[in-house]
Amino acid sequence: MLLQPKPKNARSKRFLTNRDPKVVENQKTAIFIRGSSTSQVILDTLKDLYSLRKPNAINFTKKNEIHPFDDETGVEFFSRKNDSSLFAVGMHSKKRPHNLILGRTFNYQVLDMIELGVESCIPMHQIKSQACAVGMKPLMIFNGEAFSQDENLMLLKNILLDFFRGESADMVSLKGLELVITVTAGPRKSNGEPGLVFLRTYTTSFKKSGVRQPRVELEEMGPSLDLSIRRTRHPVEDMWKQAIKVPKELKETKVKNISRDGLGDKYGRIHLGKQDITKIQTRKVKALKKKLDNRPSKQMELD
Amino acid sequence: MDVSGILEEHKSRFKSVQVDRLIPVEHDLGLLASYDINMLDEGKLSASKKKRDAYLLELSREGAQMLVNELFNQPTSVDDDSVYAVLPKITTTLPREKPLPKEKPMTRWEKFAKIKGIENRKKSRMVFDENAGEWRPRYGFKGVNNDDQKPWLIEVPGNADPYEDQYQVRRDEKKERVDKNKRRQARNMEERAATERGLNPREMRKRELQRAL
Repeated sequence: MLLQPKPKNARSKRFLTNRDPKVVENQKTAIFIRGSSTSQVILDTLKDLYSLRKPNAINFTKKNEIHPFDDETGVEFFSRKNDSSLFAVGMHSKKRPHNLILGRTFNYQVLDMIELGVESCIPMHQIKSQACAVGMKPLMIFNGEAFSQDENLMLLKNILLDFFRGESADMVSLKGLELVITVTAGPRKSNGEPGLVFLRTYTTSFKKSGVRQPRVELEEMGPSLDLSIRRTRHPVEDMWKQAIKVPKELKETKVKNISRDGLGDKYGRIHLGKQDITKIQTRKVKALKKKLDNRPSKQMELD
Repeated sequence: MDVSGILEEHKSRFKSVQVDRLIPVEHDLGLLASYDINMLDEGKLSASKKKRDAYLLELSREGAQMLVNELFNQPTSVDDDSVYAVLPKITTTLPREKPLPKEKPMTRWEKFAKIKGIENRKKSRMVFDENAGEWRPRYGFKGVNNDDQKPWLIEVPGNADPYEDQYQVRRDEKKERVDKNKRRQARNMEERAATERGLNPREMRKRELQRAL
């Protein structure tokens, strides 16, 4: 547990309060770590993922003895030091060739991880295409029903969504939809195990279409990865529950007793209490008035 | 006048933006994501690399087209010559990176202000200084409240010792004010720590004094 140093001036204090838990969080930072032995394939993959994730990404260039599935403390230390909640570890060994581990942390502790084998990688510099601007919010497409059925693929989907999310925005410029990342679940292997996952990156170009929506044409760019799923670490129940809690400031407030008609008219509902029938105010009629003292009432003389 | 012929001819000049899928595709526009659970052509995916990549390109193009169609249907706002689509809230559950911030207990002043109904009014950073005839910061560097260092003349008040250094008196008073503020901040921190542990701050101070004695 790292001791938090006491801030000595306003600048360092601001830096530390930026890292405190907040209602609306900062954009997640990702760290790219190299294992003790790496291969060219895995280095290319890490480099490309890093460039897709800029500016909120930190690339470690030195090799580290790090095995997240066996010992989580290494990753947790880096996460705490760099205030990053996403990590990607790349390594290469005979048993697990071209190994890529993507994971997330919650409160600087590992939340979940997935180990992928990079079966083939075509990095950005090998595909000749126009470079994409840095920091764009990508369109993400997940093809295949396996992404809503298979546990491991659902975890992968969630992690990839978090990874490539970009800035959280209320509005997006319609001209700025340049990057598309597709993840497709390949057919199952003959022994029933899930097949490869194909990750492709494209740049868009909008063409005229005669209608308001433009015709979208894609050109391949960026890393093209074929991944196989190896080990997974699903999140612990109570950590996951804590992590998906929404603060009440961001919850939608329900407006009660106001409804809209089909025609757009606004209706409000007022709740009156229960009426006491014996005490209803009616017209004052003198004849019905109860006299306070027992004076005999004057009788009208009718003649 | 029948324009449908002309419209059709106009449309046929361009490529279609329509994409058909058996099962409607689920979109999460807040994330710019789409989840397509339609059946994929496994034959093409298991075929040669070229065929597979061509099929993936086609799939991706259609998926991107559907997303773009949805985005263009969203309410827009125009700002500085660029059109923005207003995105709805995210529907997929994604985890936070840190736990929810804890509610901070109120300080002594905050409690008092709440009871009295005193509201905090934001003051502007710059104040117009009549003497200098320019805008200066209210506090801090070249601030209006730091003029005490400047006066070339300070009148000795009637009840003070004539040999007392008035400049020193001013400096001491300021130091006293700063220290008082620091003491109060430290006290607030202690009281906050005490209430977070569930103790009454007075009890905690009593215990500490007893321990010191």
